[in-house]
Amino acid sequence: MKTKLAALFAAALAVAGCHTNSVNSVENAQKSGQRYMIPDQRVISDISLSHKVSVVGVNTAMTAGNVLKVQVELLNQSRKLQRFAYTFEWFDANGMQINNVTSATIADQIEGRESKFISAVAPNPACTDFRLKLIKVN
Amino acid sequence: MNTKSLLWLAAGLTLITGCGTNAHYIQTGGTQSVVSVDQINIQDFISAANAATSDLLASGALDRVSNPPAVLAMSRIVNNTSQQIDTDLLTKKIRVALLQSGKAVTTTTFGLGGPEDPLARNIQQQEGKPTRLPDFTLSGKIIETFAKAGNTKQSTYSFQLSLTDQRGLAVWEGDKDITKQGTRSGVGF
Repeated sequence: MKTKLAALFAAALAVAGCHTNSVNSVENAQKSGQRYMIPDQRVISDISLSHKVSVVGVNTAMTAGNVLKVQVELLNQSRKLQRFAYTFEWFDANGMQINNVTSATIADQIEGRESKFISAVAPNPACTDFRLKLIKVN
Repeated sequence: MNTKSLLWLAAGLTLITGCGTNAHYIQTGGTQSVVSVDQINIQDFISAANAATSDLLASGALDRVSNPPAVLAMSRIVNNTSQQIDTDLLTKKIRVALLQSGKAVTTTTFGLGGPEDPLARNIQQQEGKPTRLPDFTLSGKIIETFAKAGNTKQSTYSFQLSLTDQRGLAVWEGDKDITKQGTRSGVGF
């Protein structure tokens, strides 16, 4: 009896504590907008994060202000909400990093099975390169 | 005192001395920052400035001047929160980023309530140099809203900005909401 009560209690805690909402989505099957996808290079040191906040693809475009805009599609392959933080680092044509508020660390979250986009704009027209950092937040 | 008691004592002492950290540096606005539900943290200002700057640069609004770079003057940023905050925590980051972008410079001799740099203004007047009127002014408001459900507190800080040209028209508007939730006043990032 005690074992059953304990199991019931544990199950109740598990149900209350876990955020397991996952996302369904519907979109246009014949998309009119064309994304300019770029080949990317990845360094993964947190395998768990790479599963929950996985990078699907990266595309770029020039904005009306003639600065580079980068958009990254993320996918949460798990069923649980994952909080994370991201930082875009920007580099000029000489490979020198440019540091200002556009390289801030931004907190975000992604629901279970959700696909979402994050984007950033380069700090000036001379920026030609970037790096995205993703870090898990509890 | 038996061995078991000594072990418990040792464990207790380790716990007391091990908990609590010495003062150390962390990355400003980084993942180790404290998140306060009932006040605006520095990472909130950084996030809002990031959103405003990125959107403003991407819009191209600052490029539509006859004599680039555009001259920007700071106007009123209303604090509609319950805290005393210095709105420069938001606007200075935007100004620095716009200057580094090459798209705008901020005038410090022309502003709401007088020049930001009175000495520069005096020198300008003594030199007889004409004051270039600003092409744009930046104004805005910071608003806070609270909600509570049981033990859970939620606060939303809305950072609203407008870029107005010489015709008095808002040629760019930005609105960034930052919502925080928790059961305690302050938690980790």
